[in-house]
Amino acid sequence: MILYSALVFATIFASGTFLLLQRDLLRVVVGIVLVSNSAVFFIISAGLTRGAAPVYPLESGPVSDPLVQAMALTALVIGFGVAGLLLAMVYRLYVSHGTVDGEEIAGHEMRQAEALERAERVPEGEEVPAEEQDAEPAREGREAR
Amino acid sequence: MTGSAASHVLPVLPVGIPWVLAAVLALLDGRRRWVGLLAAGGLAASLASLFWLASVVLREGPVSTVAGGWPENVGISLRADALGAAFALVSVGVILASLLYELALGVRWRAFPALVLLVAAGLTGLFLTGDVFNFYVFFEISMTASFILTGYREADYQVRGAFVFAVVNLLGSVVFLIGIAALYSITGSLDMRIIAQRTDVLEPVSVIAVATLIFAAFFLKLGLFPFHFWLPAVYVGSHPPVAAILSGALANIGGYGLLRFGAGIMPRELELGSTAVLVLGSASIIIYGALQAISRRDTSEVMAYSAIGQAGYVILALGVAGPVGYAAAVVYSVVNSLNNGIVFLAAGLRGPLVGGAFAVGAFSIAGVPPAAGFVAKIAVFKAAIAEGPLLASLALVALVFVGGALSFLYSFQVYQRRFMRPGDGGKPGPRAARLLVAALAALVVLLGIWPEPLVSLGEAAAAVLAGGSG
Repeated sequence: MILYSALVFATIFASGTFLLLQRDLLRVVVGIVLVSNSAVFFIISAGLTRGAAPVYPLESGPVSDPLVQAMALTALVIGFGVAGLLLAMVYRLYVSHGTVDGEEIAGHEMRQAEALERAERVPEGEEVPAEEQDAEPAREGREAR
Repeated sequence: MTGSAASHVLPVLPVGIPWVLAAVLALLDGRRRWVGLLAAGGLAASLASLFWLASVVLREGPVSTVAGGWPENVGISLRADALGAAFALVSVGVILASLLYELALGVRWRAFPALVLLVAAGLTGLFLTGDVFNFYVFFEISMTASFILTGYREADYQVRGAFVFAVVNLLGSVVFLIGIAALYSITGSLDMRIIAQRTDVLEPVSVIAVATLIFAAFFLKLGLFPFHFWLPAVYVGSHPPVAAILSGALANIGGYGLLRFGAGIMPRELELGSTAVLVLGSASIIIYGALQAISRRDTSEVMAYSAIGQAGYVILALGVAGPVGYAAAVVYSVVNSLNNGIVFLAAGLRGPLVGGAFAVGAFSIAGVPPAAGFVAKIAVFKAAIAEGPLLASLALVALVFVGGALSFLYSFQVYQRRFMRPGDGGKPGPRAARLLVAALAALVVLLGIWPEPLVSLGEAAAAVLAGGSG
């Protein structure tokens, strides 16, 4: 039973971690949901006793540990709220960039920031060339991909 | 432990006031001036009750109360000791300063004051709780509120920063939660005191795995060297008061967690890892943070890397262990969060007054005498010298010296670039905000000139840890 739970936990956690490393922000959110649910699973399997549901009146025989269930419930609620928050953030980014790809959003932002910088700095006429040269190859590399 | 009715209510006040007020203010429009002032009033009340609590704790020892009148060890307990009180005091102080600063600039979100109050409630709750699962819940309250705060002002890069911050820290929270479940599974309790007693008699092998999980979670939270990658992106983008809250208050979770879980609950495991990993690790953190900070140009970027490097001193003191090391870690964390608060707040303003305040913050980071940073550096020095063999303590002292010199270098590079440019065209910012930053700087100087309360608080906190480890 312990080996079985450990395998299930490991599979869920690993899938979640894999999704966390993706460029698509929605997959990242799904990854977080999976990882936090694997923690809930881990909490349940960390219970000290196994048996009937801990509801009064108690029948004879072993009763399962109620404390881990309370903890799991709390963790579930927190995970749910946070997933909602993350989805709202992704939507906000989607509205302003029209994409949910992390790399594309970063590139988009970098171009915007550079455009802003140029607009601000050129009239003053200081330090522009050095920084632009630095920034240029990086930007091209990004677009070429 | 058991006292009058007042001592039962006392630990609840600093948590309860901002929490209830946050729930009320969430319904109101935070952009109105009076709502913001009400929030500031609530935080000030929480701060005042923390001062009261700290004075009671220093005189009479830890104060504890059990929710709902359950017997001890059955109900959920709040337990205030010198360690928690010290961290709660400085965190709420920095949050209050940041809120006032934002009020002076003009609040743009209706939820802003309520979110700031929630961060304060979560932080004081986790500093004062005596139960590891409640620690996690309070931790999530403050973290979730701060995820939203990071996106404050809603520029695209801020929302993206908030997303990165949220994802990385959630991963940290999950790792921590798994650690708690494992801790419960091997000790059968969630109460910190009972866990501390039981881990002492358990096989070290089983505790080490749990300790690794929990320490990794706090390293991530504190933005320490191998886990620091997220920190600059978040600190650089966020609005100055938000950055001050993140670096001056929220980052305290890491330091406090390492002290409470490392030194208080699993001292043997901390010791096993300390001599090699922590000392070597702190060396690389201090030097890496300082070098990165020197190579950056943008003020908040420099300060973000500086925050990474400064956290290394806390680890160094923690690695030395023993009462001297723990006291140094507490004093350094307190001073460090004040410094971070000052420099991040000052980075958003201009003008001679702010320049002066920034200089004080920079002096304090570098550890130059009139500022409180000097006291903190002295404490770390003491800890380094207390470390056993001559060679080790020499190496540590040299490290502290080199780190200090490097931080002196980058702080004044920034100062020069930012505040000493001739014909500085920027607007100086609202008068109230500038006065506030100056007042914070004055506080740091005052703590440097009269360090007695700070040092005694640190020593009392260290005594709690040394006593708890049994």
